[in-house]
Amino acid sequence: EFRFGPCRVEGVVLSELWEAFWAVKNTLQTQDNITSVQLLKPQVLQDVSDAESCYLVHSLLKFYLNTVFKNYHNKIAKVKILKSFSSLANNFIVIVSKLQPSKEKDMLSISERAHRRFLLFRRTFKQMGTEAALVKAVGEVDILLTWMQKFYQL
Amino acid sequence: LTGGVAVLPAPQNLTVLSINMKHLLMWNPVAQPREPVLYSVEYQGEYESLYMSHIWIPSSRCSPTNSLECDVTDDITATVPYNFRVRALLGSQTSAWSTLERPFNRNSTVLMAPRMEVTEHGLHLVVKLEDPGPQFEFLVVYWRREPGATEHVKVVKSRDTPVHIETMEPGAMYCVKAQAWVKAIGRHSTFSQTQCVEMQGEPL
Repeated sequence: EFRFGPCRVEGVVLSELWEAFWAVKNTLQTQDNITSVQLLKPQVLQDVSDAESCYLVHSLLKFYLNTVFKNYHNKIAKVKILKSFSSLANNFIVIVSKLQPSKEKDMLSISERAHRRFLLFRRTFKQMGTEAALVKAVGEVDILLTWMQKFYQL
Repeated sequence: LTGGVAVLPAPQNLTVLSINMKHLLMWNPVAQPREPVLYSVEYQGEYESLYMSHIWIPSSRCSPTNSLECDVTDDITATVPYNFRVRALLGSQTSAWSTLERPFNRNSTVLMAPRMEVTEHGLHLVVKLEDPGPQFEFLVVYWRREPGATEHVKVVKSRDTPVHIETMEPGAMYCVKAQAWVKAIGRHSTFSQTQCVEMQGEPL
């Protein structure tokens, strides 16, 4: 299960996510020729406290569901990629539906810190052209999964 | 008939039979006298139905198939509701799509008690368990058959069987039962029948 601080998520097998991404990794990452920019840069994902992690993963996964996957879909030609995206997206839906980031007042400073990290990610995304940003965000799913893996307990 | 042209009827009565995380979509045949009818299966998960309901994904194994069933296990890779639809194909004709009445979620799969074989080998209990797939783990419970016995528990991954349980006392009787556990859906099966084995040798 995932343990993002106080937030627990069961019913998602991390290996299924990796399997889905590995199946299309080369196809996705060869489309991204802007190597000077990283969306999920260290300032976004490094040294995230357990308490922050629930807020941050919630924001990131919702962004991937509502913006990245949704808009990248019409670029998908191969059925194989469609299947991988379906697996990733549907597992992201399970995670988001089970995350309950606390709205307590005493968590305000922590949630704001997490939000600043997310805003940094989104600002970089918006500064790129939409197409290039979509391609890069999709190609960086392995960075996202690697960070999420730190919170996964077998 | 539509405008005098024979219309290929859509397959009816779609159902899913799911046992031990193996999911089988089934439907009734479309009767056609002369040529064999083929069928094509497509699916969408909760994401597709929520965010892009026009997107349907061809099934890995049945696009098309001449069978009346389709193993959709590899298509279902998340614990969310999945929609399925099937249509018939005859030459250049295609029927309308027929859609599963209620979406299927793999957390409704039937988990069977695991088949188990317990033997004794040089004062070790050896527990052989069937391997229903990588998603499965087993809870193996064993105890010495005597009043007030303590139960011991061992968690075993499906690839790690047979299990050799530590050294037992000669001449003693030991009993074992096991249940299957699937992390992806957070559910376990009932326990298997208990099996007991006597260790060789004279009691200490």
